[in-house]
Amino acid sequence: MAAGERTRSEQAALRVLIVEPPEEEAARQPGGVLDVASALRRLGREIQLEVHREPAVALRAMAGGHADLAVLDQALGDRFWSLLDAAGSAAAPALVVVRASDEAFALEAYRAGAADCVRVGSEFGDLLPIAALEQLRRVRHIRSKGAAARLGKRVDDLKRYNEHIIQNMNSALVVIDPGARVAYANPRAERVLGAEPGELEDEDVRRWFPGLPPEEILPLRTLEDGHRFRGAEMVLTRLDGALIPIGLSCSPLVDSEGVREGAVAIFQDLTEIKQLQRQVLQTEKMASIGQLAAGVAHEINNPMGFIHANLCQLSEYLDDLQKVWDRVDGLRTAARRERIDGDEVRRAAADLEAMIGEVDAAFLLNDFGTAIRESLEGSGRIREIVRDLRAFSHQDTTQRAPTDVNRALDSTAHIVWTMMRHSVVLTKHYEELPPVSCFPVQLQQVFMNLLVNAYQAIEARAEQEELRGEIQLHTEVQGEEVVVRVSDNGTGIDPQVLGRIFDPFFTTKQVGVGTGLGLSTSFNLVQQQGGSLHVDSEPGRGTTFEVRLPLGEEGDP
Amino acid sequence: MTAELPVVLLVDDERHILSALRRSLRREGYQILTANSAEGALETLAEQKVDLVVSDQKMPGANGIALFAELERSGARVPRVLLTGWPEEIPAGELRKAGVTALLPKPWDDAQLKSTLRSCLAGSA
Repeated sequence: MAAGERTRSEQAALRVLIVEPPEEEAARQPGGVLDVASALRRLGREIQLEVHREPAVALRAMAGGHADLAVLDQALGDRFWSLLDAAGSAAAPALVVVRASDEAFALEAYRAGAADCVRVGSEFGDLLPIAALEQLRRVRHIRSKGAAARLGKRVDDLKRYNEHIIQNMNSALVVIDPGARVAYANPRAERVLGAEPGELEDEDVRRWFPGLPPEEILPLRTLEDGHRFRGAEMVLTRLDGALIPIGLSCSPLVDSEGVREGAVAIFQDLTEIKQLQRQVLQTEKMASIGQLAAGVAHEINNPMGFIHANLCQLSEYLDDLQKVWDRVDGLRTAARRERIDGDEVRRAAADLEAMIGEVDAAFLLNDFGTAIRESLEGSGRIREIVRDLRAFSHQDTTQRAPTDVNRALDSTAHIVWTMMRHSVVLTKHYEELPPVSCFPVQLQQVFMNLLVNAYQAIEARAEQEELRGEIQLHTEVQGEEVVVRVSDNGTGIDPQVLGRIFDPFFTTKQVGVGTGLGLSTSFNLVQQQGGSLHVDSEPGRGTTFEVRLPLGEEGDP
Repeated sequence: MTAELPVVLLVDDERHILSALRRSLRREGYQILTANSAEGALETLAEQKVDLVVSDQKMPGANGIALFAELERSGARVPRVLLTGWPEEIPAGELRKAGVTALLPKPWDDAQLKSTLRSCLAGSA
């Protein structure tokens, strides 16, 4: 902004600020009333004149710093000196109109900072413009010198600016010479590679990709044939031997005649981005599991409810049976005496009899067994739910394994089933399938996602109309592929939306219900296994998702 | 004598819950009836006098709140206790509209179950 202003004032007219004394005062002085303004007007249009008669206003104008030259009259009297001071502070040269015939005033004025003095007289009208011109020329000269210096500084600034960008850019930048050696590496490149400042200089870039044939090292191909790459992913070996994923762009470096002088490689460390991607996958998995958790919790809560109540009752039963046992003890004691007291025995037996009746021992014994049986059945149900859940949490997610797709689908459906059994009929048509080499956990995550979506579509439609929810699971072999279909009779998907359902963050669900990542994640997970995910839907009728997985060869790892 | 025992209707689709509730209330001196759905409960209520209804919330078909709301619509005065593991999920407004007398957590505490039922019956008497 400041630079812009300065440039403007360099081109603008020069401004001369004239302060005239009151006419009656001038008239009393030698030279009388002068017309300074018309004398200077002869200097041409480039000179802008500003005539002040009020010394106070003139002082303010001077302080504003707009004047390039001030013309002050000795006839201003007391005010003259303060105006001369003001011109000095504003860095405007002051041209003084001298009335006195001796040199004393002029000398005094020069001492106080006046740039030049012009004495009134017959040639005043010619001398004043010449003196003014001389002063203005100086002003202009000083300014243009300043401009040149500033221009030089700007070129320097620009250079520094460019360097600054390269030095501080968030990407690593490496200039490679035709011999595949580093001609320049910015600090970021040094950091990514784990090098000391300057350590990369002259380093052979092939060392960063050990074991890779030259044709797969992209910067070498750029050197070779000028090929450009953008956003390619490679694995780079740091100087300390650590491997990091990078995103790499390469372009040839050409001189002004178009001759290739090397290559410029720009790359980013993708470690964090890859971590984020993994987190997103994990978030999505957690979101699906969160939806399930409520259903599973309900399902566990019922058996927990009756097991807990039964245990409380069994504890009461035990107290009652203890009372019976105490009477049995009493009877045994009476019966064991050396000399049996028939009355005592009969009393003890009657006591026992009464207690058996009081606590309803026959019922207790019978119901004790029933309560235990029912509780065992409940705990068995919980055990099964936990076993199904464990399939999700404890499998190795990184290993391909020969997988029974029917079982993966069925155990997933079993978990999801717990939350929808009240409103959905589940039908299964499983064909016998050969084992498929895939990542079983990811596959289950996909199935879970499709099933939860199907359930939600049914719930949504059931809110609007009477509906018997149905989900059909279907598996079969088609040629070299295993096909899994999950069909529902829910709301269906609007054709306008159908093309976007696999896009990340696209969701039609309410805030907080969907992450918008379920189907896009599923799509990616299926693709990772070399398979594909398809959808067929009719609004108001329902939706079918189809997962196709390649069978692969026998013994495929 | 039996005719004078308060009649309590227990409603849950889980028969082991009914069985455990019955066990808990064994010594309370109630005549206990059971139904495994809201629809079944309404049939029983139409057929005979019931002094208290205890119903599970989550059931196939109509849930507990829907059952109680239906009772409210038909002008029934019978006190009603809702048994649910997720009481916070049911808006207070719905509880009021369905005329719910008391909420009981699931799993329930035996002592709390007994005292809640007693006070509900005392309040209606």
